[in-house]
Amino acid sequence: MNENRFASAFLVPSGLWLLLLFVVPLGFLLAISFGYTDDLGEAIYGWNPENYSRVFDADLLPVLVRSVGFALATVVLCLLIGYPVAYYIAIFGGRWKNVLLALVVLPFFVNYLVRTYAWIAMLGDDGLANGVLGGDIRFLNTPYAVIGGLVYGFLAFMILPIYASLDRMDPSLIEAGKDLYGGPWQTFRNVTWPHTMQGVLAGSVLVFLPAVGDFVSASLLGGPDEVMVGNLIQQQFQASDNWPFGAALTVVMMAFLMIWMVLYLRSAAREARGPA
Amino acid sequence: MSVDVAPPAAASRPAAEPARRKPPKAFDRPRFLRVFTGLFFVVLFAPIGLVILFSFNSSRSLQDFQGFSLRWYEQFFQSESLRDSLIASIQIALVTMVVATVLGTMLAYGLVRARTRWSSAANVMMLVPLVTPEIVAGASALLLFTQVGLELSITTIVLAHITFSISYVTVVVRARLSALGREVEDASMDLGATRWETFRLVTLPALWPAVIAAGLLVFALSFDDFVLSFFTTGESPQPLPVRIWTQIRFGVRPTINAIGTFMLVVSTLSIGLALLLPRLFGRRESGLKVLLGREGA
Repeated sequence: MNENRFASAFLVPSGLWLLLLFVVPLGFLLAISFGYTDDLGEAIYGWNPENYSRVFDADLLPVLVRSVGFALATVVLCLLIGYPVAYYIAIFGGRWKNVLLALVVLPFFVNYLVRTYAWIAMLGDDGLANGVLGGDIRFLNTPYAVIGGLVYGFLAFMILPIYASLDRMDPSLIEAGKDLYGGPWQTFRNVTWPHTMQGVLAGSVLVFLPAVGDFVSASLLGGPDEVMVGNLIQQQFQASDNWPFGAALTVVMMAFLMIWMVLYLRSAAREARGPA
Repeated sequence: MSVDVAPPAAASRPAAEPARRKPPKAFDRPRFLRVFTGLFFVVLFAPIGLVILFSFNSSRSLQDFQGFSLRWYEQFFQSESLRDSLIASIQIALVTMVVATVLGTMLAYGLVRARTRWSSAANVMMLVPLVTPEIVAGASALLLFTQVGLELSITTIVLAHITFSISYVTVVVRARLSALGREVEDASMDLGATRWETFRLVTLPALWPAVIAAGLLVFALSFDDFVLSFFTTGESPQPLPVRIWTQIRFGVRPTINAIGTFMLVVSTLSIGLALLLPRLFGRRESGLKVLLGREGA
């Protein structure tokens, strides 16, 4: 048998699976986002663009803006925390490199809910943080707590790609920068940073995407003033049972995120085509 | 390995290699960076340490530790409904692991070895499920199941988990397959093996470490998953993370510490196994590289 035909046959089962259980459901989502609900709250297909005008309603706008704002703040914080850590591990990790990397990854296999719950216990009004600081500070139900929860949740997605790009970089480039009398900051800005740009971009997208759609952090660490779009979507599909509106919210979010997804996929494709 | 033929390992390495390993003198090791990384790890592990510690607390308190006890673990394992949830979570993760690993490995083989018009597009498209926010995946899976009249249960959770695990497997296995090269397969065909025999006896054995590592990764991801399960779960039994969610919403309960610690042990075991696996196969590469799909890159 021809190798091409043999190998192509291997594509069929997974291709069909992804078509039926990934692509088709997205089609359903798009279709129902133009639907109605009947008196029983049951979703019916139809033509009802109203769902979309409701998304951009004046009283929902702050939620959308907040979701993007929280996610951007999360990306910036992850970058500020993740870059130095990735740098330390990649350049100075030595024989501990793999151990340190494993330590970075390990906490992310502790259930996200349990990790968030741990923060409730630490940051609560009579939690450990207030005990240590001896103060009476309100941490929970603030934007800081929600953003902190998101950072803690997705930090590994930033560290790993940055680490990978630093690891790929030839250290003699940094040496060269110093030989040319660049100071540490100049060398970093003109040599290291541009060389790790791909990792920084990949990490930013990988943090941004799940952060925008997250509802766990805002539900558990935030109050009514920290509601994000994920919470709205979750409510429509669970409690308030307005699936068409929930679907419209999801489609709008997806459309907005698509830009970033395409950016990421393009850089992934470039990387797959061959080492630069 | 015969000693008299092989040159000493150090000499056989290309000259540039030792310089890459050691940080050159030009690097000054800023103390700031070391302190920062140290602090980072402290903050990273503090909440987890707290969960583990207080899972053994004898009182309900989450603030002060009053003595060692296993009462929260007893409560966890003696509650019939929590035990059902644990069993459900393990069943879901096992089935997801097996099916997603088979499908993902096949996809990887097809993507690397088939040269069709859509190959390069397909190679990128298979990444889409990885970057789709889970809430989108959960909502659309829920829609599909209700539209085709499938009752929500463990089965629907498994279907959703498999869909989003295939890509992880494919990324990990694809990296190993690309690094493998065709020569061995060509040699096998030259010796009269059929395509299928070559795949079964040559390709697959070479892929095993990556396949098993990917499977263990999928097990851990599925076992821990909350959002997809939350959207696609039936009434009962619900997987553990969904139960944790309900418990947290009803107020902080110390049993969660015990459940969390237990889940941590299960995930750490499967990930640890995945990291150590290449060594068990007698290979010297790092398991982390295999898992990150960075092998040979």
